[in-house]
Amino acid sequence: MNLDGALQTFFAEAEDLLNSMEAALLRLDEGDKDMETINEIFRAAHTIKGSAGLFGLNDIVSFTHIVENVLDRARDEKITVSGDLLSILLPCRDHIAVLVENAMHERANDETCLAQGQALLDALKPWLGVAAAPVIAKQESNASAGFFDGNTGGSSDRDSWHISVRFGPDLLRNGMDPFSILRFLRTLGEITHITTITEHLPEFNDFDPEQLYLGFEITLGSNASQQQIEDAFMFVREESSIKIIPPRSNIYAFVNLIQSLPENAQRLGEILVKSHAITYQELEAALATQKNQAKALGKVGMLGDILIEEQAVAPEIVNAALDKQKKNNEKKSSPENRFIRVDAERLDKLINLIGELVINRQRVDLLASKMGNPTLIEAVTSMGNFTEAIRDAALTLRMVPIGDTFQKFKRVVRDTAKSLNKEIELEIEGAETELDRSMVEKLNDPLMHIVRNAMDHGIESISVRQARNKPDSGTIKLTARHDAGNIVIGIHDDGGGLDVEKIRKKAITNGLIEEGVHLSRQELFQLIFHPGLSTAEQVTNLSGRGVGMDVVKRNIEELQGGIEIESEMGVGTSLSIRLPLTLAIIDGFHVTAGNIDFIVPQNTILECVDLNSLNHVQGQNCVNLRGDQVPYIRLREIFSLQPGNHSREKIVVVQFGEKRAGIVVDELHGEIQTVVKPMGPIFQALKGIGGSSLLGTGAVALILDIQQLISFAINREHLRNNAFSVNIQEQE
Amino acid sequence: MNQASKQKKTGSPEVIKQYLTFRIGNEHYGLELSQTREIIEYSGITEVPLMPNFLRGVINLRGEVVPVIDLAVRLGRKSIEVQKRTCIIVVELQNNEQNHVLGLLADAVSEVIEMDDENIEDAPSFGANIRAEFIQGIAKREDEFVVLLDANNALSIRELAHLVEAQLQ
Repeated sequence: MNLDGALQTFFAEAEDLLNSMEAALLRLDEGDKDMETINEIFRAAHTIKGSAGLFGLNDIVSFTHIVENVLDRARDEKITVSGDLLSILLPCRDHIAVLVENAMHERANDETCLAQGQALLDALKPWLGVAAAPVIAKQESNASAGFFDGNTGGSSDRDSWHISVRFGPDLLRNGMDPFSILRFLRTLGEITHITTITEHLPEFNDFDPEQLYLGFEITLGSNASQQQIEDAFMFVREESSIKIIPPRSNIYAFVNLIQSLPENAQRLGEILVKSHAITYQELEAALATQKNQAKALGKVGMLGDILIEEQAVAPEIVNAALDKQKKNNEKKSSPENRFIRVDAERLDKLINLIGELVINRQRVDLLASKMGNPTLIEAVTSMGNFTEAIRDAALTLRMVPIGDTFQKFKRVVRDTAKSLNKEIELEIEGAETELDRSMVEKLNDPLMHIVRNAMDHGIESISVRQARNKPDSGTIKLTARHDAGNIVIGIHDDGGGLDVEKIRKKAITNGLIEEGVHLSRQELFQLIFHPGLSTAEQVTNLSGRGVGMDVVKRNIEELQGGIEIESEMGVGTSLSIRLPLTLAIIDGFHVTAGNIDFIVPQNTILECVDLNSLNHVQGQNCVNLRGDQVPYIRLREIFSLQPGNHSREKIVVVQFGEKRAGIVVDELHGEIQTVVKPMGPIFQALKGIGGSSLLGTGAVALILDIQQLISFAINREHLRNNAFSVNIQEQE
Repeated sequence: MNQASKQKKTGSPEVIKQYLTFRIGNEHYGLELSQTREIIEYSGITEVPLMPNFLRGVINLRGEVVPVIDLAVRLGRKSIEVQKRTCIIVVELQNNEQNHVLGLLADAVSEVIEMDDENIEDAPSFGANIRAEFIQGIAKREDEFVVLLDANNALSIRELAHLVEAQLQ
């Protein structure tokens, strides 16, 4: 579980929420009276508080909690949101932003900061009503101390009320706090035992902080009537499952309870303890007796029998629990339990080790062919095949289907469409397509940005769609497929499409391009990735701030990927992101140019040809390959390497996305499996080289990043041409 | 080391540090021994294209790819010519809570010396021909001076990366 990743998600989410909170507050300030706006602010505060609580960011929780209380009262129309209140709420929002920022940089909140917070809270007091609820973070700690103290209680509690409650998942969303119910129960009597049922907590990645997963088994010593206890659950009764067993109940009540428990409780003892039919002490005593008996009789006595013998529980209870245990065991053998959960770190370590194995195998290969012993070469080759198989198998361990990532967008699209007053459906295709886990995490943000952009700027409003004879509801389609060692992720919308002319104009106004410069459609589209260029006429709170698309492109490039756009006015826009399947180990092709070893990623290579066997297009770095013109880059030229012999040059024809190009090198050495080693921060600015790798000889080879290399060459050519035209102008 | 600097603050005169000294051209330099990891023979540097002169390339240090800096160029001297005694001093620097490993090209490694702070003079404000912030102090040894380098400044990863970026533009 990568908590750091989740924390980063929280920061990103908090930033978005704070932005929308600010925008909504400003709308109120402009006279917006819509209840939904207040709701939006409330939700933002509520979500931030909830998520911050998960990470134990108590300063954020305690401050936001008070703000949320005020907003809640506004929501219930107990107070009106006036200019006075707004002028406090806006700084409150800013203060939350500061707290989040501090948490992000792991800075402690200093005294001035906390004092500011307190001043704001003091200013909020008039709006809080009489009894401002105390701060949640504190409640929780107090509460747990209070509740769990009871756990030391000695003998069986069959003299008390037993309450078994499984809260409905939407309880938190509906504004209910389970703790307030527990607090209320304490006013009725003493909670002597409480067990939190956590079985329904999902995997961390699937965890929805707004959803309630908990249940409780409570033993309450109280003189209250059944009605009074039931009343505690009045507001949650409908969606929750609540069973109340009165004191001194018939044993069958417990039998029923055990049978109705939804949990997968593992052991008989646990089930019994959980329902407080017995206590831990009784269980331990029973276990001890079991051991002794086993010694004495040489055979293990059944735990259930012992409990009955000890008169701790009635046989009926034991039988019910045994039944349940049996059922649980049966479930075990079903296919869903065939997965083993492994720490991601261990997996990474394994992959690293296999990387080393791959390098060493190259070395052995090299030595064997030097020695020229056929038996040895044969053995080494067969070992090599296994190494390759191990590598492939190991890499699949890290592969996860992209569907989970796509699925998250369902909610995003639904919520965002609502806030945009648009109707948008999300379609998903190729959810089973797998890619490296580490890449999935880094894909989230760029995808989120693109999808939001598509919803905000792409899909038109209903009235426009009707005028264009399109269905009211717009469609966004997320697709994924494998393509020659790459994964291609598509984001398609059937919206208004990109206006090439508008992009051109904006780019000229912003000084990105010169007037009269000819750019291809694709080049013009690519301009939207330029910082500062946003074609949205109206800046909305969702996007259109002109930041984002450049970050998207950078994120994708960091993953060694590329992004292409296809769009038609009035019909829609498609973005395709092309990424390598994994970053750790690649199949490469070893070449040399100048005196440097390079590796070309195998999945980009189409063919290798002798440069001199091809016809050159006159005066250009371009060859005629079976009738197609293929431009080429001479590595020696572009990297200013030592000049060499031109007569033996080879051209490696590569493809990246729709582009085809030649890389001219001095010598071809052949295929090689290689482990990507990062080059470190010093080389960050170097374009065209994506990393380094070790050859069998121990020498370092540089891995070419084809996409970067090509755009580097294009940029350089542009610069040179521009310099050329400047020269001409000067001469004139 | 931390303890040593603490002692200095409390006024104790006995602060002895170890320095690895080496030669570049005719000049003697020193680095705090605690910042150095090992010394390796010069062999097999892979050149990285388009890099500024101070960045000689990368080496394979037991599976780790490590950049090699020509310290002479970095200090404003003439580039080091590889000879028999040329070696690479591997240093490990802490930067933004990350460890960075760098190789430094030197003409020859001399010895490890122990110096107490009393015998280390502050960097002269001029005349050393080296940027002042690269110098931690000057140690006097018999009849020669040893320039003790401030590795964190002289080899600041951020500055080196900026220089590379500037070179590429």
